Amino acid sequence: MSAVRWGRGAAGFGRALWPAGSPGLLAEEGALGGVWSRKRSSTASPCEQDRRKDWGHAELLEVLKARVRQLQAEGVAEVTVKRVAVARAPEAGGAQPPRQAQAGAKGAAATLSSRWAQKLDSDQQLMEKRKQRLEGKLQKRVEKGAWQKQLRLEPRLLSRKLASQLQHWEQGAPRSPWEEQLAQLLQEAPHRLSSEAAAAPADRGPESRLEGQRQRLLSFFECCLLTGHLPLAHHVLVTHHSKSQQQRLLTLSMYNMVMLGWARQGSFKELTYVFFMLKDAGLAPDLQSYAAALQCMGRLDQDAGTIRRCLKQMAQDGLQLQGLFTAVPLSAEERAELLRAVRKAKPTFTPPRPPVPPPQVNTSPLLREIYAKDPAVSYPRLHLSLKELQGLFQQQLRVEMATTITVESVEKVPLLTKEVLHARKTLAGLRTRWRTALYRELQETKESEAHAAREGRLSLFPYLCLLSEKEIVRVLLQTLQALPAQGESLLFLAHELGLRVFKRKQLRNEVQELEQRYSKYLHLLASDTQVAEPCLPRQHWEALGVPEAPHEQPWPMSVVVQLGKQLAEVLVRAAQMPSSLAAPRSPGTLIPVLYHVYSFRSFRQIGILKPHPAFTQLLETAAERTLTFESTDVPMLCPPLPWTSPHSGAFLLSPTKMMRSVEGSQQHQLLLERCPPAELHGALDALTQLGNCAWRVNGRVLDLVLELFTDKGCPRLGVPAPPSEAPRPPEGRQAPKRCLLPEVSPAEKAEMRRELARRLKVAREMQSLRADALYRLSLAQHLRHRVFWLPHNMDFRGRTYPCSPHFNHLGSDLARALLEFAQGRPLGPHGLNWLKIHLVNLTGLKKRESLQARRDYADELMEDILDSADRPMTGRKWWMEADEPWQALACCMEVARAVRAPDPTAYVSHFPVHQDGSCNGLQHYAALGRDSVGAASVNLLPSDLPQDVYSEVAAQVEVFRRQDAEQGVQVAQVLEGFISRKVVKQTVMTVVYGVTRYGGRLQIEKRLREIHDFPQVRGAETPGPAGRCPVAGGHWAAGGPDTGSCLCPPWGPPAGPMGASPPPQSARGHWPRAIRRSRGNLGPAHALPSPSPQDFVWEASHYLVRQVFNSLQEMFSGTRSIQRWLTESARLISHTGSAVEWVTPLGIPIIQPYHRDSKVMIKGGLQSLTFSSSVDTSQKPNTLKQKNGFPPNFIHSLDSSHMMLTALHCYRKGLTFVSVHDCFWTHAADVAVMNQVCREQFVRLHSQPILHNLSRFLIERFCSDPRTSKSIWVSRLTDTLLSVPKTGTFNLEQVKHSTYFFS
Amino acid sequence: MWVPGVGLLSRLMLSALTRAGRFCILKSGAVRLMDVPAGNRRGLSDYYPHLMPSVGFGKSSSRVYRCRSETKRYITSPRVAETLVRILRGKRKSCQLFLECNPGPGILTRALLESGAKVVALESDETFIPHLKSLGKKVNGRLEVVYCDFFKLDPRSRGILTPPVMTSDMLFQYLGIEAQPWSKGAPLKAIGILPPKNERSALWKLLHDLYSCTSIYKYGRLENLFITEKECRKIMANPQNPGLYQALSVLCQIACGIKLLHTESCLSFGTYTANGQLAKQKHRESLEQNLCFIQLTPHRNLFTGTLTPFNYDVFFHMLRQCFMKRNAKLIDHLHSLSPIDAMHILKQIKKNKDVKVIDMYPEDFQHLFETIECSKDDNYKWLYDDFMEDVII
Repeated sequence: MSAVRWGRGAAGFGRALWPAGSPGLLAEEGALGGVWSRKRSSTASPCEQDRRKDWGHAELLEVLKARVRQLQAEGVAEVTVKRVAVARAPEAGGAQPPRQAQAGAKGAAATLSSRWAQKLDSDQQLMEKRKQRLEGKLQKRVEKGAWQKQLRLEPRLLSRKLASQLQHWEQGAPRSPWEEQLAQLLQEAPHRLSSEAAAAPADRGPESRLEGQRQRLLSFFECCLLTGHLPLAHHVLVTHHSKSQQQRLLTLSMYNMVMLGWARQGSFKELTYVFFMLKDAGLAPDLQSYAAALQCMGRLDQDAGTIRRCLKQMAQDGLQLQGLFTAVPLSAEERAELLRAVRKAKPTFTPPRPPVPPPQVNTSPLLREIYAKDPAVSYPRLHLSLKELQGLFQQQLRVEMATTITVESVEKVPLLTKEVLHARKTLAGLRTRWRTALYRELQETKESEAHAAREGRLSLFPYLCLLSEKEIVRVLLQTLQALPAQGESLLFLAHELGLRVFKRKQLRNEVQELEQRYSKYLHLLASDTQVAEPCLPRQHWEALGVPEAPHEQPWPMSVVVQLGKQLAEVLVRAAQMPSSLAAPRSPGTLIPVLYHVYSFRSFRQIGILKPHPAFTQLLETAAERTLTFESTDVPMLCPPLPWTSPHSGAFLLSPTKMMRSVEGSQQHQLLLERCPPAELHGALDALTQLGNCAWRVNGRVLDLVLELFTDKGCPRLGVPAPPSEAPRPPEGRQAPKRCLLPEVSPAEKAEMRRELARRLKVAREMQSLRADALYRLSLAQHLRHRVFWLPHNMDFRGRTYPCSPHFNHLGSDLARALLEFAQGRPLGPHGLNWLKIHLVNLTGLKKRESLQARRDYADELMEDILDSADRPMTGRKWWMEADEPWQALACCMEVARAVRAPDPTAYVSHFPVHQDGSCNGLQHYAALGRDSVGAASVNLLPSDLPQDVYSEVAAQVEVFRRQDAEQGVQVAQVLEGFISRKVVKQTVMTVVYGVTRYGGRLQIEKRLREIHDFPQVRGAETPGPAGRCPVAGGHWAAGGPDTGSCLCPPWGPPAGPMGASPPPQSARGHWPRAIRRSRGNLGPAHALPSPSPQDFVWEASHYLVRQVFNSLQEMFSGTRSIQRWLTESARLISHTGSAVEWVTPLGIPIIQPYHRDSKVMIKGGLQSLTFSSSVDTSQKPNTLKQKNGFPPNFIHSLDSSHMMLTALHCYRKGLTFVSVHDCFWTHAADVAVMNQVCREQFVRLHSQPILHNLSRFLIERFCSDPRTSKSIWVSRLTDTLLSVPKTGTFNLEQVKHSTYFFS
Repeated sequence: MWVPGVGLLSRLMLSALTRAGRFCILKSGAVRLMDVPAGNRRGLSDYYPHLMPSVGFGKSSSRVYRCRSETKRYITSPRVAETLVRILRGKRKSCQLFLECNPGPGILTRALLESGAKVVALESDETFIPHLKSLGKKVNGRLEVVYCDFFKLDPRSRGILTPPVMTSDMLFQYLGIEAQPWSKGAPLKAIGILPPKNERSALWKLLHDLYSCTSIYKYGRLENLFITEKECRKIMANPQNPGLYQALSVLCQIACGIKLLHTESCLSFGTYTANGQLAKQKHRESLEQNLCFIQLTPHRNLFTGTLTPFNYDVFFHMLRQCFMKRNAKLIDHLHSLSPIDAMHILKQIKKNKDVKVIDMYPEDFQHLFETIECSKDDNYKWLYDDFMEDVII
């Protein structure tokens, strides 16, 4: 492109910007202009009307001409040009029809011509369509370039003045006399629009719908830019802009985005078009717009005059030049171009230094010590050298670049029979075929989507271009492979697929930069390096470079699902297999592999994608032994990136969010971004610290587990049995032979059906458990001889979780037993004792004994312990009886090794020892309320023996029961001797977290059922003694009781399908009370029935839950009043229309993501999908959830604060520390230190006026808005918030001396 | 993860979130407790759409009896009662057994007793019970009053049953009624008015029980005599009145002989609210409506063919699916019902490929079902899987 042309472009651009008058007068002039124009439109003078008529004629003429030309038109590209010509027509006539007249269509001629224009438009569209159909027929694949030519480039501006200006600029005409008017209009437009916006009624409904569409548009443009389809984005922008209905959807950021795209390419003409449109839409350009413009000028080396004009305009818009460099995110290259442009106009300009993070200091008093420089600290280092760590980094980098990782399954190797080999070969053949078919389908889909985009619709085209076709095909094939036999709901599948694409696209690509930085970072962690000043990993990382570019916004849910659905449809169309696989005798036609079937829930239909049973069968036969995981679903092989912001940290290439929340909620991300970065330091550093703990697999335990796993499994020990142990239905889903016989009675057939369903259900449950264990064990096996890391993030309340879902320390007993610290530490003088105590803790036997007694107990049992360690499977199997058998076994082994070491104190132990909070939720409540009685019962007070809150509640319940029994309450009498710790434990534990009476009753009911001598319980309905499964002796059970394996999951027999109640046995005596009550005049033949078990258990549990709540009320009066205060506050906040927000003592902002459901529908294709989302912030909050959720969520935010404080202080003291919420882990040698830190930090935390701080925050947040202060809810809320619950007299300092606070 | 044949994990992820619909609470909740940490997912993947929570018919009935606010309709006019007894009893004097569901004020009960029949009154409203019992004083034990809700017998969840919800086994054993083979006649007649608010649900539940030979039908081919409102016309519909034709019609007509015995204006019935208060008739249209008194007699030969209690669920599924889009072509539905070539099936049932769902008579559906079920060549006949209904949702 010639320099001349650019020069002209720049002039036009400058003119578009050209203002008249000083900025101070802008508003006034705008207002004047507005009055004037309105007057003109309402009382148009005859002369003007004439002109309008003339103009109408002129336009009509032009339209007709255009139509003639159109009819003659050959190329589609030409048609678009004509359309622009039409738009230009009136200006050519030299008239200036007022905008209002045209918009309001008052003039008859205008309407007429616009009708003509419409007709023309529709004809054009029709023709275009016809043409395109023809083209499609002629050549299947239109080359990319071909359709890009048809894209619209020039905008049709709604403002005539602007349009003519644009045209003048295009034609390079000299400045017209009414240029100043234009300038006026330019200023007028934004003003007018803004007044319109203010006047617009606050109609929430459509507004929120618009918001959704805007999000979709924005992400469409973004995606176009990303995939290099800028002309398409421009085209869609122009199309939307030219229709006033659709123009409402366009926002400044969209124009800016497209402009930025052009700027990067250095296409000034297009950029100017967008600028015109922006002005035309009545928007005021902001810093980003100017940054884009200047960048483009920089790239094109524009003359200084233009740039100066631009800068001047910018200044008049009230924008600071400095702001361009500080407030607009730019890459280094963009920055340079921008600077080049600015320097042309202002040679002396120096950009402000890149925002050097000002000395950001966290202000939380709790964290002051953590960030204190003195006394100098030495943070712990890893046991690995720099070189080793760099090697590990390379490994992890390779894994993440591959995006998936293939792991060998630990499932038994199948015999490679001819059948298996044949199946594998068939599969391989099919996959090759599918790959080709998928390519083809994908291309066709892309083609049709591109077509839709060309018509100005928001199609999925750019999204489909994000990943290479190869990659998409791979994702689809993996999906097909992973599809369960019973199918997967289409909605779920679509969502998964969409997310997968989104995640892959996000991968960072500055690998080299990362590599260098990471390598420097490792100097802080490696064992053989030095750093100048000891600091936290995050501080070190930040010191190594500038903060990273802001993260990308996630796509709206509807886009994700739509994209996923499109891909799923591609898969459905492409995947076919020969029918001979299903029916051997059929002719070799192709049949689909995937079927879209429906399932019914009540009267609602749910679409499911289901593989052909023959395909499932084929997969089963082939028994392939590889598992594919996403690289982000497995632990990392090198230390994770430190968390430096809410969206950077953890994995090397795949961005991870620091805070996860419920179902795509955005609000918490916004809060986090708005929060000053320093406020988050506590959370960032704690998460980094938790993730920096190096792990390794406990090989001996893994061996034992694998042995069981590949054999018959052992559900009692948490090792699921293989499918071969599952009850098999006789002949698949097909009826057993007897079913077809007419002489078998219908009732028997019904029974057969139930039996079959029962078996299938058990088999499927087993299969799920098995698969879960298979992933875990396969990953463990894969990582067996490596060191690995579990990056952490947190939920919306600040509780921390490892990112890798299958293999981590948060799982069951088995999962925990497989892990140990990679870094060892000598036991030291007390380490062995702690190991022993920990072992006894794991057995669950001596809960109410002192530490000394537990240790003595371990010494007594030393023989058993050593036996377990040496001969776990053949010996006395003492460990199997423990509460947590696998961890106990691992601990036995560790104790054995330590005891046998020449010097136990020097023995290097890798074993994590846990310290558990005793009813942590109640501990926090008791501390909050300074509640002496409660504090004593949850071990906040020093005491010789551990207090057990559950026993105490049980005792209190017993007191109530006795009173009632004396008064003749039947239920109370019957319950005598059955109220135990176990019965009430779960309920007490969960009351803190908001369990209701209803839920509590169910829990107690379950416990009562487990007591097998609970009175008058029918034999048939009682599950056997704990641990024994009633089905084990049944007719389909394999595996005898001697192996300790039974087929049922440990929670008891599966519930049968509808109406499948086991027929009552001989019992003829158990009847509901009501029947008894109404028996009245039954003949003597009928014996009086006694109450049924159900009836009785129901009544008893109902009674008990009431008493448990009463007892808690009695014992924890402070707790209940705080709970009530929190609940009431949340209720009122919710009524004022906001979601409850607060800030944890560590400064993490929290917001509850509970809103009323909003429905989203995606139409078309295979099936319309409807889903509801409860996180739509434009919806009102869900009061019930907000209020019920607040107390537990608040307590969780406190316990997470406590954990983080402990973690940070432990790190400062050089300890290894990890946690499972309120269970803290460290090396045996360091338990004492950790315990001390844990207590100190608890006291520090609660020394803060937590409730008063909360109250102050909530008042400021929700009650300070003068606009709402009159509302009755707000005034009530203020009252409630001001009456913070009174506290008791408990002296917090005592916690420091409580041995059993965490034990 | 990408592994063949695994259904649960993805669902576990769903269940780990707070609102994941009903299934995870009822079904895989237990599984989750076992092994898999809740909410243990990486950052970006934490967004799962949840399916809409559903309100169930019979199937998903809750553990607690919570229908206190239901309104019920009762026979309040002695004239109607007498008419009905005349139709029911004819000239017979034998001691026939009637199961009367929700007799309420007991007008019909009294009439039945007077005609010499034996009556078991299943009343779900405790307020009526003393009165009903007083009716039985003089009839020499011919009346039995049980606090029981007939329409909520055998709830799906096997939790605690509190009266008036109970199992049919309890009830029948208590009444001392033995199970009779299907081929025998009905041991008793159940008579009652379907709950006006959810007639359809009640009918669906009955049909499920009937086809699966469970609940009350385990005890034989019970004859039902129900007074229903608008549903009556629907269950008797066929392609000749396509507006009313639906899955229920097919199922009813295949299973039972349907006979319309009597029609009576709504005015002759009283509507009571929960606590036994006589409610005012609110809507004018309900005044103009008639109640139909119909007889549903299960066919003796219902299970002699291919359709049995073993595979009835497939038949149900087929019909529900077909009638979801009643105006669609049958062939489109066949694609998501069976992997067998749809054209082939159509040829076998001798229908052309454009046949629509509403053009199929009940017998045609039965024929279609039997054809697929008996198809010889294919190993896999149905795509339906009862597991689907349970867990996917």
